[in-house]
Amino acid sequence: MIPSEIALIFVVLVGLFAALRVAFEKNTLRKLPYLNVLSFAVAAAIALLIRHPLALLAAVAFFVGSTLESNAIASTYAGGRDKDD
Amino acid sequence: MLNVIARILAASLVSWLLFITIDVLFKLPEKGGVSGAAAIGQAIEKDGGALHGGYMMGNIVCSPDASAGTLLAACGVYIAGIPGGLAAALLVYIGNRICYDPGYAGTTGAVLATFVIFGFTRIGFGAEEFIAGMVLAILTIQGLSHLGASRLLATLWGWRA
Repeated sequence: MIPSEIALIFVVLVGLFAALRVAFEKNTLRKLPYLNVLSFAVAAAIALLIRHPLALLAAVAFFVGSTLESNAIASTYAGGRDKDD
Repeated sequence: MLNVIARILAASLVSWLLFITIDVLFKLPEKGGVSGAAAIGQAIEKDGGALHGGYMMGNIVCSPDASAGTLLAACGVYIAGIPGGLAAALLVYIGNRICYDPGYAGTTGAVLATFVIFGFTRIGFGAEEFIAGMVLAILTIQGLSHLGASRLLATLWGWRA
């Protein structure tokens, strides 16, 4: 097995573990750090599977998009923007 | 194969030290950068964790920080060497701006990680090992025990503050 395949196995296992934790965690705000781990794993898998400059753009776009979604979900649960924002 | 696994674990340790150091230096545990990050910190504290560690975890969720910078720089170096890593840093900066964050921790992390990872590729490591290593490193903070991780981060923040 070549190193990138072994790296991919680690990434996939971490991603599956994080997905299970997201599914079984009851508190929505505390789901988000697990979802963050899942986003790391997916972004890593995109780069490992497709070694092409545009894959870097895809990985960053996916990661930033998922971060922004988590940010929006968490801020909604917190009751919207701070007054001084 | 065992060599690769050992290098992934070593890369994980290097990435962990890098992103924790940068995040703590950039005061991520001080307060929630946006209301959502503060809410995540408070949710972790309510369940028995430490508030400032929780704030840092909330900030990591809500905007690309040094950990995201390290991961994406590793992806950039894997795909295109140093120019790839620096391109990732630029994209992280844009991502930070989208997420309503000044972006210093994420961008600094990505630039530093680019050179650290490139240095390690000169001594036999592969950038792909850093990609897997960073995923393992973020798992230890965000994915195993929120309470334990928040207490550890709060202790580190105590040294910094």
